[in-house]
Order: sequence, then C-alpha cells, then structure tokens
Amino acid sequence: MGLRWHHFALWGLFAVTLFVLPEFVSRGTLRTLIFANFLAIFAISWDTLSGRTGYISFGHPFLIGIGAYTTAILTKRFDVAMEISIPIAVIATMVGGLIVLLPALRIKGSYFALVTLAMMELIYQLVQVIRPDLTGGTRGMSGLPTLTRGAVNGYYMSVSLMLAIALTTWLVMRTRLGTALSAIGMNEEAVSGSGLSVTKLKMAAFLFSAFIAGLGGAVYIHYLGSIAPRALFDINFVFTIIVAALIGGAGTTVGPIAGAFFLTFLLEYLRPYLPGAERYMVYSGLALILYMAQPKGMWELFFQGIAKFDRLGRRE
Amino acid sequence: MLQVLIQGLLLSGLYALIAVGFTLIFSVGRVLNLAYGAYLLIGGYTYFYFSQQLGLPKFAGVALAGIIGCALGILKFQLIVRPLKGNHVAIEISTLILAVFLQSVVIFVFGDSSKILLPIIPGVERVAGAAIPFSNLFAAIASWVILISLWLFVRSTHMGRAMQAVSMDAKGAAISGVDATKINMFTWALSGTLGAIAGVFFASYTQLYPGMWVAPLIIAVAVVIVGGIGSIIGTLIVAHIVGFLEILTSAYIAPELRGVFTMLLIIVILVWRPSGLFGREEL
Amino acid sequence: MKFGKILKAVTAAGVISAASFATAAYAEIKVGFIGSLSSDTGLSTLRGAEMAIEELNAKGGVLGEKIKLVTADTQEDVTEGIKAYEYLAETEEVDFIISGSIDDVSLGWIPRMQEFQIPTLDTWTSSISIIDMVVQDPEVMAPYFMNIASDEALATLYINFGADVLKKQMGWNSVVILAEDTGFGQAITGLVTEAISPVAGIEVKETIIYDVGTVDFAPIFAKAQATGADFIYQVSSVNSQVISSQYVKLQVPMPMTGVNVSALGMEYWEDTGGAGGGISTLSPLPSVGFKLDPTSQAFVERYQAKYKSRPVIPHFNGFNAYYGLTQAMAAAEEAGGFKDAKKWSAAMEKQDLKLELDGKLWLRYGFWGKDEVEEVTKRTYPHNARFDLSAPYDDAQPSMVVVQWKEDGSVGVVYPFEYATTKFEIPSWIKK
Repeated sequence: MGLRWHHFALWGLFAVTLFVLPEFVSRGTLRTLIFANFLAIFAISWDTLSGRTGYISFGHPFLIGIGAYTTAILTKRFDVAMEISIPIAVIATMVGGLIVLLPALRIKGSYFALVTLAMMELIYQLVQVIRPDLTGGTRGMSGLPTLTRGAVNGYYMSVSLMLAIALTTWLVMRTRLGTALSAIGMNEEAVSGSGLSVTKLKMAAFLFSAFIAGLGGAVYIHYLGSIAPRALFDINFVFTIIVAALIGGAGTTVGPIAGAFFLTFLLEYLRPYLPGAERYMVYSGLALILYMAQPKGMWELFFQGIAKFDRLGRRE
Repeated sequence: MLQVLIQGLLLSGLYALIAVGFTLIFSVGRVLNLAYGAYLLIGGYTYFYFSQQLGLPKFAGVALAGIIGCALGILKFQLIVRPLKGNHVAIEISTLILAVFLQSVVIFVFGDSSKILLPIIPGVERVAGAAIPFSNLFAAIASWVILISLWLFVRSTHMGRAMQAVSMDAKGAAISGVDATKINMFTWALSGTLGAIAGVFFASYTQLYPGMWVAPLIIAVAVVIVGGIGSIIGTLIVAHIVGFLEILTSAYIAPELRGVFTMLLIIVILVWRPSGLFGREEL
Repeated sequence: MKFGKILKAVTAAGVISAASFATAAYAEIKVGFIGSLSSDTGLSTLRGAEMAIEELNAKGGVLGEKIKLVTADTQEDVTEGIKAYEYLAETEEVDFIISGSIDDVSLGWIPRMQEFQIPTLDTWTSSISIIDMVVQDPEVMAPYFMNIASDEALATLYINFGADVLKKQMGWNSVVILAEDTGFGQAITGLVTEAISPVAGIEVKETIIYDVGTVDFAPIFAKAQATGADFIYQVSSVNSQVISSQYVKLQVPMPMTGVNVSALGMEYWEDTGGAGGGISTLSPLPSVGFKLDPTSQAFVERYQAKYKSRPVIPHFNGFNAYYGLTQAMAAAEEAGGFKDAKKWSAAMEKQDLKLELDGKLWLRYGFWGKDEVEEVTKRTYPHNARFDLSAPYDDAQPSMVVVQWKEDGSVGVVYPFEYATTKFEIPSWIKK
C-alpha cells in the first residue's frame, strides 16, 4: 500500500490540530467549522464517485437526501431512536447508490451528468407529492431530534466523523481498488482490457460514495434539527459540493477537505460585508478563476509550487 | 379539453424557443452549456431594466436583451470554451459555476425578490373557457417564426451549411476549408441571442427571479435529450411532448406533479436510447 | 455605492482572517436582526428596528450604553436561518434578537433560541405552533415573544368576514381554497376549512395546494374554475404578487379573496404592473389603506424622510419592530439588561402601549397574560400580541382587517365595518 510513517504523522498532526482548535477559537468560528466539516464529507463522497472514476454526478444531493430523509422520517414520524435510524438511512442510501449505478453501466460523460441532475430534480418533486404527511412536503420538517447541543459538542462530533471518513477513504484509495478506480477515470477500456471487472469496480465506488453521503446526510440533519427539500435538492448545493472538491483537488482525499474549509470560511468572512446571497458572487467568481487556472485544484498548485521551489533549490 | 389544447400549444411554443439555442450549441459545439439558462435570466432582467425601469419602447428592450445575450455568448466562447479546448467535463463545470455567478450578479444588482414583467402586449381573449393572454400568444407565434427562419437559415445559407458540416464532422469540415472556430463562435453568439430573447418571453409568461435559469435549463435538456442531438424538427416535436405532458399532468393529475414526467422522460430515454427518439440527424 | 461594497468585501476577505480570533467586548448593547434582507417584509422589520434604535441612542441609549445593530440574512431559507441565528448568538454574541422571519424559518431556529436563551422578538411570523410551545414549555420559551396576532386570530376574522360579507352581501355559497405549501398556508387553510362551513355556511369544494416556486398558474386557475365554486380563497405569503398578477393577466372569471401578503405593501401596485385590481387580503394591523393614529403617522413620516427605497411605507411588522424594540429596551431597563432572560421576560410581559385616534383605542402593543383565556377561541396566548376578536374592539385593535385594491390603484379597508373606508367589490371582468 506504500504507507510510510510520515503519512501517519501528518494525519496525526492534522487530527491533533483540529481537536485542540476549540481551545483557541470563538464559538462562532466553531459553527463555521462544523459546516465546513459537513461540506468536506459531502465533497469526499462526491469525489469518490466522480473525482476518481470520472463519472461526473450533478445530482449528488439525491444520495445525501435519501440518507437525510430516511432518518428524518423514521425519527420524526415513527419515533425510532437515532442509533437505529442512522444505520438504516445509510443502508437506504447505498440502495440509492445502486440506482445511480444503473445508468452508469450504459452511459457516460455529459449524459451521465444529466441523468443524475434529472434524478435530483425528480426526487425533489416526488418528496412534495408522495406522502407529504411523512416527508413534510415542500416545507420539510423541523424539530427533529439533535445529536448534540452547543457549538463545542457539535464541532467534536462533526470533526470526528469527517476525520474518520477522510482517513478511511484515504486508506481505501491506497489499496489496489483505489488505483483501479482512478484508472477507470483515465481510461475505462484499458481497465476492462486488463481483465478487471469494470462493473464491480464501479459498484464498489458508487456504494462507498453512497455510504459516505448517507452517513453525512443523516448526521447533518440531526445536527441542524430540520430538513428542507428546497435547500437540499438544489443546484446551488450541487454547485457548492462540486466546487469544494474541484477547487481543493479532485481525485485526492485532502483536496475536498481543503476546498470545503476554504469556501465555507470565505462565505462566512464575507457575511459582514455582503450579508445576502450576493456573497456567492465573490465565491463563484473566485471559484471560476481558480478552476480555469488549474482544473486539478489548489492541491495541484501547491505541489507545483513545491516542485518549483525544489528546482530552484537544486539550481543553487 | 380545448382549454388543455390551447394551454399546451402556448406553453410548447415557448419551450421550443427555450430549447433551440441549447440544441444549437450541443450539436455544433458538442458541449453542454449549463450556463444556457443564464441567458434567459440575463435577457429577462435586461428587458426589465430597459423597458420597465427606464421606460424604453418594448421592442428596444427585446432588442437590447438579444444584443446582451449575443455578447455574453461570444464572451463565454472566448473566455471559457476556447481556453478549455474541448475538455467537456471542464466546460460543463465551469459553465455551471458561471451560471451561479451570473445569478448572484443579478441578486446583487436587482435583489432576490421576484419581479413581475408587464405583459408585452396587454389583453386577454377567452376561447371556450381558456384564457389566452395576447402576450403568450405572441410568444408562441414568435417562437414558431424564429424556429422556421432558423431552419431555413441552416438549410439554405452558406453559414448555415457550414454549421451543419461542423456539427456532423468537425474534422472533415476543417479539411474542406470551414473555419470551425469562426462557426463555433457564431453559434455561441446565435445561441446567446435566442436564449436572451426566450428569456423575455419566459419571464413575461411567468415572473423574473434570480433562480429562473434552472427550470428552462432542465426543459432545454429534456427537449434535446429526448429529441436527439441537433435536430431542429426534433426540438419542435419534443417541446410539444414536454409542454403537453406538463399541462395534462397539472390539469388531470396534480399541479405539483407537472415536472415529474419530464424528469422521468429524461432518465428513461437516456438509459434506454441515449441517441434520443429522433436519432442523430443533421441540424 | 454598490461597487464600493464589492471592493470592501474583496479586500476584507483577505485581511480579516485574524479578526475572528479576537472577540472584542465594548460597553454596548448589541441587537441582532434576523430576516430576509431582500424582501419588503424583512426590510420593514429591519428599518423599524433601526429607527427605534436611533431614537433610543439619541436619548442616551439604554442603561447608559449605546445600542448597536447587526444583521443576518435568512434568504427565507430554513438552513440559512439556523446559520444566521447561530451567527448572531455566537459570533456577534448579541443581547437581543429582533426577527422578521417567515414561519418556516422561525420554526427552524426556535430550537437554537431555546438553547441560547437569548431574548427574541418575532414581528412577522404568526405561527400558532410557536405559541403552543410557549404554553407547553413556558420555562424554555420564556425569552420568546411574538407581537403579531397568531394564525387563529387571523382565521377567525376571516370567517366573520365570510359570514358578514361573502355570504350575506355577495350571496356566495361555495369556495375553492388555493393555498401555498408553507407552514403559514397549512395553518390558515386548516383553520378556515374547519370553521367556514359551520360558521359562515360556505361549503369548501376543494383545496388546491401549490408550491411557492410555481411560475405558471394557468392550469391551477383552470382547475379551480372546474370546481364550480363561487369564489377562490387564496392563502399566499411567499411571492404572492405572482399569483395575483397572473390572476389579473389571465382575467380569471372568478372572484378571489383571502390572504395575499404582497398586497400588504404600497409597492403591490407597481409590482403587478398596475394590474392587481380586485385583490383583497386579510392584513394584520397597521395596514395599507388603514388610518393611522398620530404616533404611528409621525413614525411613517420620519421613515419616509429617512428611507428613499422600497418599501415606501413599512409593512405591519415594521410598526411591530419599532414599537416592540422600544418595549424590549424598556423591559431591559427594568430588568437591568438582557443577561437574565427570565427577569427580562417578566418585565416584557408587562409592557403595554395604547395608541388612540380621536379618543378611541386604535392600536395596542401588549401581551396576553399567562392564564388569560381569550373569549372567542377559549384558549390562552402567552407571549402573543394582544388582539380583539369581537366588535366594538375596545380591549385591543381587531386582530386584522380586510383590505381591497381597486382597479384604479387605490386601496381601502372593507372589513370590519367599524374601520371600513370602502366597499367590497368584484373585478370588472367578472360577469355578474
């Protein structure tokens, strides 16, 4: 797997930094970090499916929504305990992952992106009309049970979940499975030519991605305490997830985390100056420039920077 | 029944107009322009600003919307599509980011509450219990006129035939001396103009609001996917399928379900027959 | 001006990262506004609060400290609303929150209010389920107040209007309800459906629910017409100008009345392109078309001198914010600040402002006592604005009035008759 001690040292350092952070920052900053953690989870999930295999999903909230709605309905309408409803939600989301997989067996590229977009729009409309007594219709539900109270607890919960998911993803992606997935992203025919089952590989990627999306979505709504379809199945939400993954660096594990933190903090820091939705102007403008400059993301820019520095060093 | 027929025809005409600009780019440039809906957004707001806030004549408002849409199309081509050199995924993602950017610009300038466009032509005619606002009738007729002229243009002018050539086989066209870049830029400009004008009609049919780019984008996607790449006639037929599906659903099943069948149609067609119902024809 | 804003924002984004680590504490009272910064209703609350603060500061502030206002936009979205409340509570650490949130947004952040125990005053939402929470859990909900009459009061007045005007004067016997899918829509629809038939003798033929994102109402109106009802009852609080302007554009041959929040502002006429005639709506007080007492009139004049953009006259919640914030500060003076939320809450409960016009009680800003039972609905409304459901309205103002826009662009009150300035009419294109 090519694991080195310095990998674990870096992960350990990262985790320790995140865990001692509440001692140094305000509660307001912690709240922002919580949203950054959740966005990082969603971006990692998106990246597992799209960043690695190259099957670009424009409907990722479809998966997040299945997880979120399953646990919301179970806890709110049937008084199921969260310890039971969240695992059920994760399983339901993985079934959803198989649904997304079906079109991916036949089509790719732009067409796959469009199908996922249509899936998201479809579930948005269905949530409103199929049993609104369960789903809460267009209004969604509020007053859901919450896992934690207070900024510090919420922060520890979200940061532990995010780190656990990130580390697992990182380890999985260093196995032969991860290498094979990236190979699909580069050249699917070559992978199938080398005798591997592309279908099985894709299934593994989609199920893993759905697992993360379901877990993240379920915990997210039990942090918020409310669920609203209009904000969830929204192209702007898709935009935020994709941009986080891409700006940070698709196909890596640290990239989506870096992107999510960068973008969430950018939005929060703009709040005093541009309090409304016009904040997205700076956000999307910056995202467009960064993406056009380096489609591989900031991570790549960072490495290029190091490489340049190295070369300069060597010349001297 | 007649009521459904009339409403269906009016809506479908509008949908055809919305979709045709998207079809052009998809067939000539072979890229999904996810910022296509933003042309409608910018077109609608341009008209609102010039005609309703500054009080210019309505025709001037529509013309200015078209000009700004055209400029936007050219800018998009030069600043995004060309630098990304046919990397489809990158173009899709950057046009999505651009759409969100334009949406926030609109919020910044006009605020995010919705605005009502005055009817382009005031008045209503009632036929068998169905209301036909003159504005909507005008939009449907204008859309037919635009589509037919576009079809004639593609068939019978030099430029149109060059577009056809590029859409069928870009390399082949290049060998036979067609400047693909020029044709592409022209198509982006044309698509932008059509999108912005469709935006004026779409907004006067409904309302102006910063999120108004999503719904027409989905309609355009549905029409293009189901109709097959690049067929103007296919666009026209499928726009009517989609339009009537919506009207029939809201009239006989439930208004909230109106978009569901459009989505199902996209999913089923893409999985079952990715080349669309009408296959891949020339423009 | 706008570009200055961008420039500031861009430079700020780069510079201020360090600032968040240091939370400065000045001797000042911080008030947080939570609501939509882009809707007329949100702006009404914000400006009402701004004016009250300006006046209080001119008099030397509260408890010797100046008042400072910070804002957080909800974009009328539940998740953004929760974030906004957290921002005010934790980043800005405000002492008091004034809200212009819509129902669903308030319902979203209420759990945060319960957690932080920050004194909070809602000026727009009329959600009875929040008042129910106060009834069930008065301890946790102590810092919460709502100074607009809640849903039941609204619905009760409408039922009376139905009996006295729609049934008795117009002779209408059946209705089709056209309601938006929001918390507000659901509450009002439920209450009206329950009572309009037994009390007013009007049969509900059908209830059509529509999504607030609906852009084309033609099929929905067609469906309403097909029910054969005598009139449409609309319940619309979000983007209501869309449904009313399409009603007029399509010249729907059926009278329409109900609740249309956009028709509560003077901009309604401009927004519908001068095509909103015939629309009538229930309106909390004060309302467009409603005569004002001298104090409120003076407030409107100062408001108009200060703000040149829309809304040209604050909506009802602008008045609520202006008077309510002043009362909240008076309660703070008495309780020694906002820190002890229970003490502040007790002082706030006692606030009572009576405004008169021509020797008659015109507006009252007070709250129902904990165990006080309202006579008509036979229930309690703790921490809810005091209202009066029966003529001659000498305990408080009527909970609401019905106003109607005429086709010439004028607007007047049509019900209750004691306050009426004009008669209820149907649009000219409807054949009688």
